[in-house]
Amino acid sequence: MRRPDARAKAQGALVYAADLQVRGMLWGAFRTSPHAHAAIRSMDVQPALEVPGVVAVLTARDVREMIPSRPEGEALPLLADQEVTYAGQPVAAVAAEDPAAARAGAEAIRVQWEPRPAFVEIEREFPEWPDSERMRGDPRVVGHVRACRGDFEKACREADVVHSEVYRTSLVAHVALEPHGCLANVRGDDWYVRTTTQTPFGVRDDLADKLHLPASQIRVEGTWVGGGFGGRNEAILEPYALLLSRKTGRPVRIQLSFREEFLWDRTTLPAVFRMDSAVRGGQLTARRTRLLLDTGGSLPGRDFALGYSLGFTLGPYRVPVWELEGYALRTHRPPFGPHRAPLAPQCAFASESHIDSLARRLGEDPTEFRLRHVWREGDETPFGQRVPPFAAEEGLRRARDYIRSRRPNLPPGHGLGIAIGFWSTGTSMGGEARVRLGPEGARIIQGEREIGNGTVVAGLLRVASEALGLPVEALRVDYLDTSQAPFDSGVFGSRTAATLGYAVRKACDAIREELGRRLSPPSGPHPLAARLRWDSGRVLVEDGGDWIPLAKVLRPEEIAAGGLERWGKHYGRPSEEIDPSWVLEGSLSGYSDVVASVHVAEVSVDPQTGAVRPRHYLAIQDAGRVLDPDLYRGQVEGGVVMGLGTALTEEGLIGEDGRWQNPGLLDYRIPTMGEVPPIEIVALQGHTGSGVFGSKGIGEPPIIPVPAAIANAVADATGQRVREIPLTPERVARALGLLGRDGGEARP
Amino acid sequence: MTPWRARLNGRDVELADVPAEERLLDTVRWRLEARGTKEGCRTGDCGACTMWVGGRSVLSCLVLSRDVEGEEITTIEGFAPTELGQRIQEAFEEAGAVQCGYCTPGFVMALGSLLKEQAGKPLSDEEICRELSGNLCRCTGYFGLLRAARRLFGGEASSPSDLSTFSVAERGG
Repeated sequence: MRRPDARAKAQGALVYAADLQVRGMLWGAFRTSPHAHAAIRSMDVQPALEVPGVVAVLTARDVREMIPSRPEGEALPLLADQEVTYAGQPVAAVAAEDPAAARAGAEAIRVQWEPRPAFVEIEREFPEWPDSERMRGDPRVVGHVRACRGDFEKACREADVVHSEVYRTSLVAHVALEPHGCLANVRGDDWYVRTTTQTPFGVRDDLADKLHLPASQIRVEGTWVGGGFGGRNEAILEPYALLLSRKTGRPVRIQLSFREEFLWDRTTLPAVFRMDSAVRGGQLTARRTRLLLDTGGSLPGRDFALGYSLGFTLGPYRVPVWELEGYALRTHRPPFGPHRAPLAPQCAFASESHIDSLARRLGEDPTEFRLRHVWREGDETPFGQRVPPFAAEEGLRRARDYIRSRRPNLPPGHGLGIAIGFWSTGTSMGGEARVRLGPEGARIIQGEREIGNGTVVAGLLRVASEALGLPVEALRVDYLDTSQAPFDSGVFGSRTAATLGYAVRKACDAIREELGRRLSPPSGPHPLAARLRWDSGRVLVEDGGDWIPLAKVLRPEEIAAGGLERWGKHYGRPSEEIDPSWVLEGSLSGYSDVVASVHVAEVSVDPQTGAVRPRHYLAIQDAGRVLDPDLYRGQVEGGVVMGLGTALTEEGLIGEDGRWQNPGLLDYRIPTMGEVPPIEIVALQGHTGSGVFGSKGIGEPPIIPVPAAIANAVADATGQRVREIPLTPERVARALGLLGRDGGEARP
Repeated sequence: MTPWRARLNGRDVELADVPAEERLLDTVRWRLEARGTKEGCRTGDCGACTMWVGGRSVLSCLVLSRDVEGEEITTIEGFAPTELGQRIQEAFEEAGAVQCGYCTPGFVMALGSLLKEQAGKPLSDEEICRELSGNLCRCTGYFGLLRAARRLFGGEASSPSDLSTFSVAERGG
């Protein structure tokens, strides 16, 4: 469908957080740590207060005085005054009459730092897999998961081949085009903030936690959002804007610069995957993954990615014996955070490169090897569940057909790489919506904001249109702040259309059922849901074969309230439980709604420079059911290109001193228009999901297999495997033997 | 300080106190309160702040306001209502070129000046990409933008089929 917001956006007519301005507002700025790890010997804020235009300075002491009930001793304080644990950590916030004065004030604060040793590179400290005795009691271990089924060592002893490899992945930043910004205004007990978020309720609850306030006193209102990708799930700037507003009694606006956006980003950090597979008689008999995950200056719960990502490294393959172990490590980097399918592209890079390399070692075609092991519906997963409807096998067959037809015509220097992206979407995270049907159309009343994918501004309309039987022109979406809106979990996890959409559908169904009850004779058969039609701007309802205006069926109080309103709630399929006897340490998540992306990349590799160029891309997606082809297509196109960045160019570099080395678009390279290959997208319907109308999520899945597909294509083209992303020309050239050990040219 | 004078979207504007170091982007957004132009990187890398000075595209984050005194400045607010501006919006809407929309005004301005320069002459995909590669988009993968640009440059006859194809297939089909 044509998006209702497209024109207004193309006219520059919509207001983002970056555009917010109210009379009398102050601007905030931060003083942050230049050190990855340091003690704060002293801090003098007086020079800041002497800068013209500066109105207030906020320090850790102010936070304690303003919220005395707030518990002390947290892992990562709002403002540090004893110790800083990553470069960029805030120690003071300044409010001033204009942005320049705020920045000057922040810089004028005198801080005496006492640098301490920093732990930045996990592999420098742990070049080998650490033994568990050494890790026990190490304060840097913030999460540890160990689980197994069967005897992995025994399977290896009995195997024909044991294939062992190490894969490495890098920091990738979100790089939404709009940096974070917000506007806070505190009046009495009304802590109000307008902000650029994917989850107004999540930000509300995070603020309640961080400021130790009742959630009922916090009011979060979204704006139009300049891109999400997982980067706007947390209250990052909002606590400071609210506290500065409280302290000054004026509205306070904070806006990050693009450089600061990199420094404040909570995103995917480096990981090291050790992958081992045992094969006997051509069959995979056992797999093991051991993962070291950098979780940065970890906030509580930041090891969340460990428990669910380990399962994805097994891939969607039948394997009777497995062992999974991972450590989340607290380092002196910025905190880890979710990034479009958190850690899944990295897991798939390790797992799908490994499967490919194993198949080639066995002399088998990588697609055939996958087909022999991939889950079929009804199989048992490694975690002991039954596989629900899942398109991986059919996707592989289609991909095989494509590769067979393309292979004979492949130009020299080109390669084809296949990979499966395997994901369990967040459809279990619940949502609620109200729908009000009036004489002239319906409103969907809800609390999310449109972040870019089109789900809220258009997807919910598509769902309601189908559920009510009315055209989208008869429908609109109302956006309320968190004090008035029905609860929803957020626009993330590929859950929004599937789950919030389901809540919308239930509200629509309830309306049609209520109308059906009103129109059916009291003594008649069980009433059917009423049928609706839209004609010349009016809603008509079927009454015994006639179409009558809805207004005739509504009660006077409903007419006065704008229509008949019903509330829908939906909480989707939860993750399956894993047999607790298999989990020896920590917690491991089972799968919920499984979604497959089967991709085939064609690349060429420059034999002189190692530069990789994607030439063509096939993306077969497990759709369940496509709710709207245009919105669906947009998610696949965008997700694949974002994945090409992860695969080829994007690498956040943090030096040994813990500081960002490339926090800008010139040195952190996201794909540009000239770098995208032609793409062929197939949305495979019918492997029904648990989302509304049988749908499955699509926001995250398309990014997942891209780095693996590209790496497998490079291996196909060159015979050499690159085991670290991004596949920069340097890494590829090294694999091709074009570079010597010192990085210089290889000697003949 | 001498007043700063220019024309913004066909209207004379005058400001009393524009300092020498102020960027055109900030003058337009915060003093002239035309915030349709978006602020992205402020380092000339993303293209979100594209506007026209004397009819030519500039990155307004890299232009000092004092350097464009007396010039005709066109922003998205001025260009969008024109016939060409509306044709671009129609193409963007139709092609699925808009997702979050933060880069969109910059793309509209960049494409608008390119269309004017070309004055009806067609452009190849490679040329379109070269001309627009200074504008970044993180949502769409550029396919929708390319579909829209092709339509505007090549007319309806040009088929975007080899750029991106989309099909819905049924299970077992």
